[in-house]
Amino acid sequence: MTISRRDFMRMTAGAGALSAIGQLGRTTAIAAPNGSYRAMVGVFLFGGNDSWNMVIPTDARHAQYLAARGTVGIKASQLTSLTGAPYALHPAMAALRPIWDEGSLSLVLNAGTLFAPLTKATYQSRPDLRPMNLLSHSDEQAHWQGVRARDFATDGFMGRLTDKMGVSAVPSMMSIAGSNLAVIGKTSSALVLPSTGTLSRSGYSTASNAANNAKNAALTSFASGTGLGEVTDASARDINASYSQATTANTIISATSALDGYFVNPTTGAALTSDVARQLMRVARMIDARGSLGHNRQTFFVSQGGFDNHSGQTNGGNNDTGVHANLLGDLAMALAGFHRAMQSIGMAENVTAFTMSDFGRTYRGNAQTGTDHAWGGNHLVVGGNVTAGGIFGAYPDPVLGGATDVSSEGRFLPAVSQEQYLGAIARWHGVSDADMPYVFPNWSTWSTGGLGPLGLFKA
Amino acid sequence: MFQQRKMAVLGAALGLLALAGCDGGGGGSSASSGSGGVVATPAPTPTPAAFTEGDAARLAKQASFGPTPDLVARIKSLGATAWVDEQLAASTSTYADLAVEVRRDFCVSTDTVCNRAHNSRTPVAMRFYANAIAGSDQLRQRTAFALGQMVVASEAEVNSTAGIAAFNQILLANAFGNYRDILQQVTMSGYMGDYLDMADSNKSGPSENYARELLQLFSMGPDQLNMDGTLKRDGNGAAIPNYTTDDIKGVAKALTGWTYARVGGAAITDGNARDYSQPMIQVASRYDSTAKSFLGTSVAAGATQDASVAAVVDAAFNNASTAPFVAKHMIVHLVTANPSPAYVGRVAAVFADNGSGKRGDMKAVVRAILLDPEARSAPGATSGKLKEPVLLMTALARAIGFATDGYVFQTRDTSLGQPVFRSPSVFNFYPDDFPLPGSATLKSPASKLLNTSNVLRWHNFVYDWTISGDATRSEYALDSGLPMSSLTQPLWASWEAYGSDLDAMVSRIDLTLFAATLTQAQKDALKAAATPITNADANIQARKRAQMMLYVAATSPMFLVDR
Repeated sequence: MTISRRDFMRMTAGAGALSAIGQLGRTTAIAAPNGSYRAMVGVFLFGGNDSWNMVIPTDARHAQYLAARGTVGIKASQLTSLTGAPYALHPAMAALRPIWDEGSLSLVLNAGTLFAPLTKATYQSRPDLRPMNLLSHSDEQAHWQGVRARDFATDGFMGRLTDKMGVSAVPSMMSIAGSNLAVIGKTSSALVLPSTGTLSRSGYSTASNAANNAKNAALTSFASGTGLGEVTDASARDINASYSQATTANTIISATSALDGYFVNPTTGAALTSDVARQLMRVARMIDARGSLGHNRQTFFVSQGGFDNHSGQTNGGNNDTGVHANLLGDLAMALAGFHRAMQSIGMAENVTAFTMSDFGRTYRGNAQTGTDHAWGGNHLVVGGNVTAGGIFGAYPDPVLGGATDVSSEGRFLPAVSQEQYLGAIARWHGVSDADMPYVFPNWSTWSTGGLGPLGLFKA
Repeated sequence: MFQQRKMAVLGAALGLLALAGCDGGGGGSSASSGSGGVVATPAPTPTPAAFTEGDAARLAKQASFGPTPDLVARIKSLGATAWVDEQLAASTSTYADLAVEVRRDFCVSTDTVCNRAHNSRTPVAMRFYANAIAGSDQLRQRTAFALGQMVVASEAEVNSTAGIAAFNQILLANAFGNYRDILQQVTMSGYMGDYLDMADSNKSGPSENYARELLQLFSMGPDQLNMDGTLKRDGNGAAIPNYTTDDIKGVAKALTGWTYARVGGAAITDGNARDYSQPMIQVASRYDSTAKSFLGTSVAAGATQDASVAAVVDAAFNNASTAPFVAKHMIVHLVTANPSPAYVGRVAAVFADNGSGKRGDMKAVVRAILLDPEARSAPGATSGKLKEPVLLMTALARAIGFATDGYVFQTRDTSLGQPVFRSPSVFNFYPDDFPLPGSATLKSPASKLLNTSNVLRWHNFVYDWTISGDATRSEYALDSGLPMSSLTQPLWASWEAYGSDLDAMVSRIDLTLFAATLTQAQKDALKAAATPITNADANIQARKRAQMMLYVAATSPMFLVDR
């Protein structure tokens, strides 16, 4: 793919209130000093979060928002305002307001999967520059996690990032959301922890006596997949690695931890029970155990499901409540609790949590108070090292069929690519200039010609 | 969770292809359009060889919920072709009697048993497992199970027992029927109507959900395929989409104007009366009767709702990519995760034309899958598929011998990562193209579930049902409280009958778990692990020894991967 500089300038001269893209032309890595621990915590919102109802303009654009959103719009009076910003959060996300006030929350507006910078015109004229199979859950998840928007990914950005780090007995890359493309490396693999329960292996003993030795010898004689084909061979490797890693991990997740106490509903004080909260509790423990694990970098993948709300997203007539409100409330309380837990161990500045999702949804609500698949969407970044009050990207022209709507239902062309967003976090995490193209195969497109990673972090 | 679902281009790694007289490069035939003009790759002539017990057990792994001594003997005596044909004629399983809807307010919220009976997957899942363990129409059940992992609806969103039963009855009843009938009935299903929001879709703002997933997941897939399942590519080497956003919008328009049938003839405004077991009914005022165009098809203004639906189903069913898409999915779920393009091409050709000019004949498709030389010849380096948890449970239970109402299985399957009829999303428990870890080319769908956490859970499950699996295990006495409850009993008596004959036990394990592929060293290791276990009671000693050997065997990677 080649785009001339003139094409490029035309493509990027889009409409809309462009906020700081940041890091323009920056070529030095934001590598942390050696020995300075860092962790990234990706929260994937599966199904396609209706993030137009997560971050909402409060200025004159709110009237346009309401008009265009139709069946799913939320009244201005109900929103969670953010001091000093022309944007508010969903009414159910009040748990994040103190995090914003403290300067530990940033907003990323209208980010999405891109292969190359596009305008509405070039989107229409150059299908060869579009991500493959836009609007498909599976493809768009792969484009976020694998970061190969026009190819088939067999590994993901967290896995490739981990490939470039030293190997440790217990992987420094962990998923509490099962196996996902993001955490598959070319050479590295993730420790996958359950969000609840433990990792004990029933009936296994290393005691040395004749009977147990014979049993373990039999287990050993069946443990290998060598000579039984590649699928058996790979499975045997995974099974044996799981047994050896589980013991250490189990010690950590089985112990009691004061960190769990930070995961509470700020209004009622009740302990959080949502799956995303449970996953982040486990992340907090593994960060707390970084020393005993020998990790000076950690990478986490967690998730929240249930965002594919084609119908019944809101309680009709009470759009501040309903399925989506419950999800966002759980997310906000879990992120806030996680941040407080990090502060309690002095790690808030060393840890960054950030959202990802298949895609944003149609700006126009449908007849069933739901929304359909779209493209760009808003995201949240939480951590003690983020730019205080940071707002990145550009909110789209909130008009159906407008300047960046590639259909007539409000499917907005992203203002920033997922690589500029994820790349910023990877750079902060310590990925070197030299390794960026390995972790982000299309990095040259997003790091040249005036583009670069978003300035998400304090200089 | 969702993942990429795509077709991979596979290198022809199987020596078998050399026999196939193809070019060996994985390039199969390509269909230019529709279902005509298909040039199938000729099937290689298999080298005639004696059909062994091991061969019979291997077919049982592909076509049943796990080999038993009796099943292997039956296959061995009939031969592969005759046994498959016998199975294609078998139809003993049904969910139809469970597909009787009640109002959503029929049960008081505190009545656990009532809610289990009417507002959960439990009765249908119990039936699924009971039939999987003991039913004689094993191949029909396996085929329906594979179909249900492509055409997905889930209790996670819609918890009507009758709806789950009726939806899965469509797949079971049509497993050897025609794929167009499956698409038509699924499209009209009230249960699917809620799951993917076609029910109550209104011309004022049509839902695109069912429209999109029908095309992407249930029929043609997102990108154009050659008949051998490989991607078609344009002049720049890029994939070619099967549909555009406008196509989706056109299909969504054509599918407006439907709502649920109602229990007791209640008004369509009665949200508690939705009958998920019945096809949807028309609400003319919500139907968009204007002209529609999608996928190269035009529906004239004023066309009836039924005609609009038929046009959509025809467009999905007749798309050129649908034959390889369905063929490959079924191969991946029955035989091998990485079929050669030639194998896919041969099966897709049968989907396109069963030999009598009929498209979508699933009986012919399943027959072609199981009798193909690639399924019957010796496995190669890329052959095989990782067992999913459901098959791990059923294969172990069938190898041991179980009498069950299914309840204990459905209390277990969630923790193993595969609660049947409760997929986390329409994308199933794993995508067909989940990458095999460490491989840039191979796929392994069930590997998505083979993670640190599940490895331990699967191991502990096997431990519980073998070494800790005496009939007195409290889990086996779990009572669903439903009329169909008969609890669960492992049938250890047949193992106790071997007495001190360890070789006979090992031989049965070798055949039913490993299709007679164990090495002498492995057989010796099993016996060595069993020998130290002694008990004054000969039955207890025999049972405990069998349990130890079954534990070692069923926790092994070579049992978890069927080749």
